[in-house]
Amino acid sequence: MDNLMWVEKYRPKTVAEVIGNEDAKASFTNWLIKKRREKAVLLYGPAGIGKSTLVYAAAHDFKYNVVEMNASDIRTRKAIMKMAAPAVSLSSLDEFSFETKGNLLLLDEVDGIFGQQDRGGVGAIVKIIQNSRIPIILTANNIEIQKLRPLKKICHLIRFRRVRIPLIVAFLRRICQAENIPAEKEALEILAQNSLGDVRSAINDLQTFCESRKILRKDDVQFIPLRNRGFNIYDTLKGMFSANSSVEAMKILNNSLIDYDTLLLSIHDNLPLHYKNPEKLAIAYEALSKADVFRGRIQNEEWRLLKYVFEFLSQSTTIAPGEFQPFNFIFPPTKRYLLMRTSAERTLLKTICTRIGAKCHVSQKTANSEYLPFLKIIFRKKSDQASQLAKWLRLDNSSINYLKKTN
Amino acid sequence: MNQNDAVMWTEKYRPKTLDEIVNLKDVVESLKAFLRKPATMPHLLFAGRPGTGKTTIALCIAKQLLGVSWRSFALELNASDERGIKMVRERVKTFSRYSRGSLASIPYALVILDECDQMTSSAQTALRRIMETSSHTCRFILICNYSSKIIEPIQSRCAIFRFSTLKQEDVVKHLKYVAEMEHINLHSNAAKTIVEFSEGDLRRAINILQTSAVYEDGKMINEQTILRVVGQASPKQIQLMLNKALSGKLIDARNMLYELMTTYGFSGVDIIRQMHRELFRLQHLSQKEKAELIGVFGEYDFRLSEGANEDIQLSALLAQLTRFSESRGNSANG
Ligand SMILES: Nc1ncnc2c1ncn2[C@@H]1O[C@H](COP(=O)(O)OP(=O)(O)OP(=O)(O)O)[C@@H](O)[C@H]1O
Ligand SMILES: Nc1ncnc2c1ncn2[C@@H]1O[C@H](COP(=O)(O)OP(=O)(O)O)[C@@H](O)[C@H]1O
Ligand SMILES: [Mg+2]
Ligand SMILES: [Mg+2]
Repeated sequence: MDNLMWVEKYRPKTVAEVIGNEDAKASFTNWLIKKRREKAVLLYGPAGIGKSTLVYAAAHDFKYNVVEMNASDIRTRKAIMKMAAPAVSLSSLDEFSFETKGNLLLLDEVDGIFGQQDRGGVGAIVKIIQNSRIPIILTANNIEIQKLRPLKKICHLIRFRRVRIPLIVAFLRRICQAENIPAEKEALEILAQNSLGDVRSAINDLQTFCESRKILRKDDVQFIPLRNRGFNIYDTLKGMFSANSSVEAMKILNNSLIDYDTLLLSIHDNLPLHYKNPEKLAIAYEALSKADVFRGRIQNEEWRLLKYVFEFLSQSTTIAPGEFQPFNFIFPPTKRYLLMRTSAERTLLKTICTRIGAKCHVSQKTANSEYLPFLKIIFRKKSDQASQLAKWLRLDNSSINYLKKTN
Repeated sequence: MNQNDAVMWTEKYRPKTLDEIVNLKDVVESLKAFLRKPATMPHLLFAGRPGTGKTTIALCIAKQLLGVSWRSFALELNASDERGIKMVRERVKTFSRYSRGSLASIPYALVILDECDQMTSSAQTALRRIMETSSHTCRFILICNYSSKIIEPIQSRCAIFRFSTLKQEDVVKHLKYVAEMEHINLHSNAAKTIVEFSEGDLRRAINILQTSAVYEDGKMINEQTILRVVGQASPKQIQLMLNKALSGKLIDARNMLYELMTTYGFSGVDIIRQMHRELFRLQHLSQKEKAELIGVFGEYDFRLSEGANEDIQLSALLAQLTRFSESRGNSANG
């Protein structure tokens, strides 16, 4: 028992031990043991609140054998059929067994199964559900995604909510008792509150703080990592720019909720506001540039390169430790549009560049940068060539005027 | 369209056969070998800097393989204008599937996909299947500036040809040839100056020449003419931006950079080129500093080619320029 991490060690074995969500629990067990109108049930709700646990606990209580398909091994329709079909039919063999009622199929985290390309997957699951004689249970965090729609139609939906704080406190207290660690009530409350109703994270935090202690006090948990919330953009930027070393900045980065593309752009936006000294700004920008280069290289799925992006990002914000002066962060990242031109002008320009592109075998972009500047000079010179060119490119009067007038 | 009627000199003097191509001996020789047995020719990928003859050679091949009616059997698309997967699925796929088996004189249809490095990676992924399934009815000539932006599975399906920048003396020779044909007076120094400003890009060189000819209207084209034309052709904004960066006002410089990209529609590579040129007109830089600066530009140019974010890279480059500012140079000397 002692070689288990606490979340496994204290994972409820029976339905009664699962805390919170009483309605959902009742609804689920009812579905499982009474005559099932729907062949499948979909348990959904945030992470770490007991969905998967409940399935195993119920299987234990009502003597089912769980066949689980985990997000990581399912990819395509074919793979799904190969794994699930035998499980579904195997039930006929086990039906007369005294030991178990037979199989129960758990498709865990169905919202995380399908990549863009694996669209056949949902269809395969629908088919399996329709032909199944055994209970099928699906779980998901988020069911508001388009591709789950066909599943929602044929499943009995049961919603799970965050577990209430007092229940979590009581649960943590029981663990402390079992571990023989006296704990102050406030300490457990802080842990529970910080978990935002995610029991699993509360247990993990508890273990983290208890590991090195004989007794758990309120003061011990003051510096609890903001594991569930993570840093928003302002916390992240402020934390990174005010960090005293790149290691410290990296810690913030690791706890940030912001995706690194947004972060790259935001640091880029704010860098010159932070560094007033051009020399330091140059060094910082050099590091940011490298972070961006590695970001570019990841495009070919070299995810291990991500650590270099983070490394350089952390460096870029900590070139001048101790010099942080609060400033108003630029956020969200500046999106640039073709603001300076009127839309009529844009249309005209596009027409001209398309004409040039067709005649000279270049893109509109190249036409714009390689031909337009020269054509403008030619057209300002009212020459024979200009009128010939206008004819050749089939430019109308407004285009010609544009070339003559604009700089 | 008859090219002899062309008024833009880049078109008028665009080679019509492989034999007229300037430089690129090796490329031309291997291509000719392929063309002797067209049936076995693989898909081709041309990579190289702008204005080195990539599109020209693709068109030469089309004409040689498909004859006078080449336009009916070649699909020429510029991926910079249509970048997405839709272009591949709707235009390329449909075209490449259509069989021309009945036309004995034509071995297969050609798809010329120009500026391929602008394609999204999902578009490239969509393309890779098509290249295999249609290989008996169709060949692809893919053209790009940077082959690093082409996904590996596509590169592996192609014979790759790298186009080196044209030799300076050959560009001079070609310019003199055009000048002769057009009966214009081109001073030798002027030709050299054009070469300097066009960095091996023959399209740019020819455009500068044609514009200078209009500018002087029959008079001799000299070095001053070129400087004026090139000066007028590059936006003032670039100089202003450089001055801001050099004086350490990065936020202003960066705003100007954004304006250049939005108002003028310049790409990152365009801007680096223009900056590069402008910087070397700066008087206060020593030979050593210039050498160092070339290294910096080269590095950032390369980073752009690796698919990095243009805003970030160009801003970072501007930030590096403070190290070359006039005031700093003075204080270092004193
Ligand atoms: N309601 C609960 N009662 C008791 N323990 C719980 C409860 N919810 C979560 N836990 C603890 O957290 C661990 C993980 O829970 P579980 O696997 O059921 O989460 P889940 O709801 O399926 O989350 P996810 O959506 O991330 O899969 C359990 O091993 C258990 O220790
Ligand atoms: N190797 C070359 N030989 C002769 N002309 C060239 C060569 N390279 C470029 N040119 C000239 O420059 C113009 C642009 O060349 P192009 O083949 O379109 O360049 P890119 O390599 O950008 O596709 C052509 O019209 C032609 O006049
Ligand atoms: Mg789960
Ligand atoms: Mg081209």
